[in-house]
Amino acid sequence: MYVLSYGYFLSDEVAVVNAANELLDKIILKQLHLMEEKMCCELMIESSINNGSFQLAKSRYIMGQSSVSMTRLPTECSAEFEASTLCEDIIEDGTKQLKVIKNSGGITVNPMRWFGVLVPQNLHKAQSIFQNSINYVVECANIQLKILENLKNIEILKKYISSIKD
Amino acid sequence: MALHAAVKGKLISVIGDEDTCVGFLLGGIGEINKNRHPNFMVVDKNTAVSEIEECFKRFVKRDDIDIILINQNVAELIRHVIDAHTAPVPSVLEIPSKDHPYDASKDSILRRAKGMFNPDDLVR
Repeated sequence: MYVLSYGYFLSDEVAVVNAANELLDKIILKQLHLMEEKMCCELMIESSINNGSFQLAKSRYIMGQSSVSMTRLPTECSAEFEASTLCEDIIEDGTKQLKVIKNSGGITVNPMRWFGVLVPQNLHKAQSIFQNSINYVVECANIQLKILENLKNIEILKKYISSIKD
Repeated sequence: MALHAAVKGKLISVIGDEDTCVGFLLGGIGEINKNRHPNFMVVDKNTAVSEIEECFKRFVKRDDIDIILINQNVAELIRHVIDAHTAPVPSVLEIPSKDHPYDASKDSILRRAKGMFNPDDLVR
């Protein structure tokens, strides 16, 4: 009787460990996919930044070296203004995710005005390229959040499996 | 109005070279808040590492920032500080610049994720 119940307990434990291991495999596989996705996303950001920088360089060629530079950016002495592109927290499948939103109610400025009134077409192109790369950036941040969530889950599952084995 | 923005959405900050900062600010992520604190920092060859470190820590402490963009070559300079930041928010995203292409082996998050696949850990 004792042997029987002990054997039953053992097989039960093995089943739990197997199920936990299977779940761990699934999470690790998902993690690998997420890592690949992140690398793809980073490459898209890279090509976007390269294209944007190319347009900035063309604008610099037309307007002059210092016309499109950090000297034109607002400083601590500039008037207060709000960002026109923000990100909002949303909960998707129990994980925190970010979403790009436009700031509709705040005191925003048109960044193009920092570089002059009549700016070349290339600067407009650079603006739209960088606006697009903000979407890639938020997408990449979302993947990163998923990776971190997965890391936490893997840790918990590993601890659980080792606690059963002990 | 500032309160409205704080409730509705959070900022994306950037630490990087001139083109990265100019580009992303042109995209509309730049802000100077009521305390006159910008959410960006332009790093050039004369910028001290301590300044970058201080700025990064300041951005991490700010609760109105959700994403910190940092050029990977700049991140390399303050790698110990970035590795120490393990909280999911604000997300620290290492981005390439026009002079320094993306290197996945240097990425802090990917290195942490890869650490999980230690051969010793996987033996069950």
